[in-house]
Amino acid sequence: MKWRKFVGLILAMVWLGLSPLGAGQDLFIKNGTLLTITQGIIHGGDILIIDGKIKEIGQNLTPPKGIRVIDATGKYVMPGIIDSHTHVALSGTNEASVAISSEVRMKDVINPEDPAIFTALTGGVTMVHTMHGSANPIGGENVVLKMKWGKSSEEMYVPYAYRTLKFALGENPKRANMMGFSAQPRYPQTRMGVIAIIRREFAKARSYMREWERYNQLKKNKKLVSFILPPRRNLRLEPLVLMLQGKMVARCHTYQADETLEFIKLSKEFGFKIGAFEHAWEAYKIVKELAAEKIGISVFADNWAYKMEAYQGIAYMAGFCAKHGVLVSINSDSGERIRRLFNDAAKTMRYGDLSEDEALKLITINPAIQLGVQKRVGSLEVGKDADIAIFNKHPLSAYTRCEMTIIEGEVYFDRAKYLEEQQKKAAAKKPHKKGGQK
Amino acid sequence: MRVIRNYLVFLLVIGFFVSSLPAEKVKPTYAVVGCRIHPVTGPVIENGTIIIRNGKIETLGPAAKVNIPEDAEVIEAQGLEAYPGLIDAYSQYFLETKSPSGSTAQRRPPFSAPAEERSWDKTNFLVLDNLKFKKTTLSSLHKAGITTILVTPPQQIFAGVSTLLNLNGEKFPPMVLNDKVFLHLYFTTSRGGYPSSLMGTVALFRQSFPDAQHYALQKKTFLRFPAKVSRPEYDAFLERLLPYVVEKKPVVFDCANMQDIKRAINLIEEFKLNGFIAGANEAWRVIDWVKRAKNPLLVTVDFKPPLGSRYAILGEELKKKAEKEIYPRNPAELQKNGLTFALVSGKISNPKEFIKKVTQAVEAGLPADKALQALTIVPARLLQVDSYLGSLEPGKIANVILTKGQLLTKGCQVTRVFVDGLSFEVQAPAAKGAQAPSVNLSGKWKVTVVSQMVTMEMTMDLTQEGSSLTGRLTSEMGNWEISEGTLSGDKLTLVIAANVMGQDMELTFEGQATKDKITGSISFMGGSAEMTATRIPDKS
Repeated sequence: MKWRKFVGLILAMVWLGLSPLGAGQDLFIKNGTLLTITQGIIHGGDILIIDGKIKEIGQNLTPPKGIRVIDATGKYVMPGIIDSHTHVALSGTNEASVAISSEVRMKDVINPEDPAIFTALTGGVTMVHTMHGSANPIGGENVVLKMKWGKSSEEMYVPYAYRTLKFALGENPKRANMMGFSAQPRYPQTRMGVIAIIRREFAKARSYMREWERYNQLKKNKKLVSFILPPRRNLRLEPLVLMLQGKMVARCHTYQADETLEFIKLSKEFGFKIGAFEHAWEAYKIVKELAAEKIGISVFADNWAYKMEAYQGIAYMAGFCAKHGVLVSINSDSGERIRRLFNDAAKTMRYGDLSEDEALKLITINPAIQLGVQKRVGSLEVGKDADIAIFNKHPLSAYTRCEMTIIEGEVYFDRAKYLEEQQKKAAAKKPHKKGGQK
Repeated sequence: MRVIRNYLVFLLVIGFFVSSLPAEKVKPTYAVVGCRIHPVTGPVIENGTIIIRNGKIETLGPAAKVNIPEDAEVIEAQGLEAYPGLIDAYSQYFLETKSPSGSTAQRRPPFSAPAEERSWDKTNFLVLDNLKFKKTTLSSLHKAGITTILVTPPQQIFAGVSTLLNLNGEKFPPMVLNDKVFLHLYFTTSRGGYPSSLMGTVALFRQSFPDAQHYALQKKTFLRFPAKVSRPEYDAFLERLLPYVVEKKPVVFDCANMQDIKRAINLIEEFKLNGFIAGANEAWRVIDWVKRAKNPLLVTVDFKPPLGSRYAILGEELKKKAEKEIYPRNPAELQKNGLTFALVSGKISNPKEFIKKVTQAVEAGLPADKALQALTIVPARLLQVDSYLGSLEPGKIANVILTKGQLLTKGCQVTRVFVDGLSFEVQAPAAKGAQAPSVNLSGKWKVTVVSQMVTMEMTMDLTQEGSSLTGRLTSEMGNWEISEGTLSGDKLTLVIAANVMGQDMELTFEGQATKDKITGSISFMGGSAEMTATRIPDKS
């Protein structure tokens, strides 16, 4: 019997593996307070989900026959939360043995069994931008995943997001806080060294790109083609070439205002795009420049001064920057804080004076824009993926709790059901025998 | 006087020459009679005879149809089963693992500059040059019915080249069937240098294979147009990769978990390698990938869920169930999906344990005949030795094993093995001299182990049934199962499957037991320690 169940499970897995990507499920969410983010609040609203997509939103919709209905009476329904900067669901974070490691791809080391995926779901998070660490001036290619706990890495992978490459400035890439860990000091040791090595790498990438262009030109000449060799492929430079061609964007870990501006200058020198600055605790000092360049930031709500370069952080940062036209998202950078991003978003109302709507954008549509996925997720709109989080109270309330997390119409987290299962498990365990007996 | 002395010298010289004559000249002829023959590639023959001559199976068949040659030594095998010698196509027996020179390399933290360039390149590591013969290993292999082994290099990203041995004696050169079988690749990191992460390792593979292709193209173009093209600079690493990347000689990816299997398949497909997948005890979890890719499989019967697998991290209960019930179904699941595979020992370092685990896979649903094929003809095909090994057929090399009881059933005992036509009588386990146990040792024991280095306290739970014991040792180092235990009179032997700092090893205890006290010594990896145990009285 158990054996049959097992075979069933295998078959189900095979079937899921073979089913076309994106084929989601049907669901009807009834009578909730819908925080759509982009289209205001709908009280007593219903959502019809067909094939994992939002088909209809409104009041008094009629559910099709046989569809699973979730009663959201008295509850708050919002788009699934998006974490623009974290390191969950990976086997390894840094390729720290070298300063430039642009050849590595987080895509190659997705760990679909990281329990942090489930943790994320318990906090309403449905999508993450999971990144290379900040040990290197140039890290690796990041990846965007949906938090489909129990599914394969391929099913979690989001192919339509921007391709992004991790950069890092300041203390981490110069290994300033790694005294005693590193046997030998590594170049670069200073902030000027960090910018210099990145510039040097882009210069290399540019000549590598031209080498290929030259080869492709020569190849057209039939007389030469037999003895003209293609250049050696260089996987370390290829992502930088993609950036020079506008096919990949930079996500740059930065703290100080000066180095942040330096990086903007570098992007203009080589003509690459910056997706967002990470942490950027001094962004409030250069808010005009960021707004003018239309470069967003992905930051913490509070929690600064954990190292020298983070001392000038202020609680008003996220709110202040958002008010001044910078695209701001709140990130977790962690597999634990990831479950309370809604609390962090709420802090910007107290510090920074954001409205409910503005605060919620920091963890929904704004990170979606930063990742280039705003047409698919980030708000409750007809045609978008049905990635949804349901809360018992307003998600910005200090007393709120995520009750259910849905991705593409499929329920991945159901608090009531989960607690019930846990209680059953506990009850099934044999009670301890008391006292000796024979 | 002088004449006599010269005569003696002469005799000695003659003696020397005679004893060093090639062994094949004196390979005996055997007639194994009265056994049930399992040829693997043909139907079972009851009351059969096998004639072994000059290292080969000369003929075999029902007793009535096979004449016993006059010169043959007759081996009475009534009531015994005859099988082809078993092949373990992924093992590390006899491998002399060298620790890195100097201990600094190990102490170096991961975040440091590269210690040496290309420290991950061991493509020049030939297993054959790194073997050390051990008689006990040979006899334990024979005892398990294993006559042929592939010995793989120690873990490294580009790990080295494996060797295939036919276990026909005590010297390696005559054993070698192929000294360059596979290039072995691991998803591991290079300690103290680049790459220090799994993603770095994948990137290194993705860079190295096209590098070799490019190097080959450079060489080829130079030879065609020496006047126009500059001579490529010699690169030892790429040179050694060429056979695998250009000529498509086989490479083996060691796959510790389901993600590794997918990584390997992606690499094999991207760079069109002739890739084998080894390990793969999570193949059942990515069965659609494995079915689509159709790479040859060397499947381990190590049923431990890999580190980080949900079956290992979601509680002790699930982990135990996984090891006992779920992972043992992996071979059966592969078979149901129409895949052929060899079963291999991999990380299991004890041949007896290996066969026991194969038996467990049979109990979990793998048909016994498929299991037998996975230990004989299938690995023979994958290793390209099936024209002369892997089944009992006339003309094949005489690797034959005789067993009491059917192979892969409980209580089966190998009594004799022939390798290359040479007979090795397998020592029967202490069964003959066995005495009824004089005491019952079931219960809890307090154990003290004293060696030169360390004193350790442990508790031991023993369960005795007749003369066999099972149980476990519990200490700060974790729980160690007693994989085998016998009590003959008051003589106690325990084999302990220990794990010390992530390293699996086998400890053997031998000593004497009374009702309340056990004393003796425990041996491990060439060392030994005194062990005493006193009974913890049952309070109730």
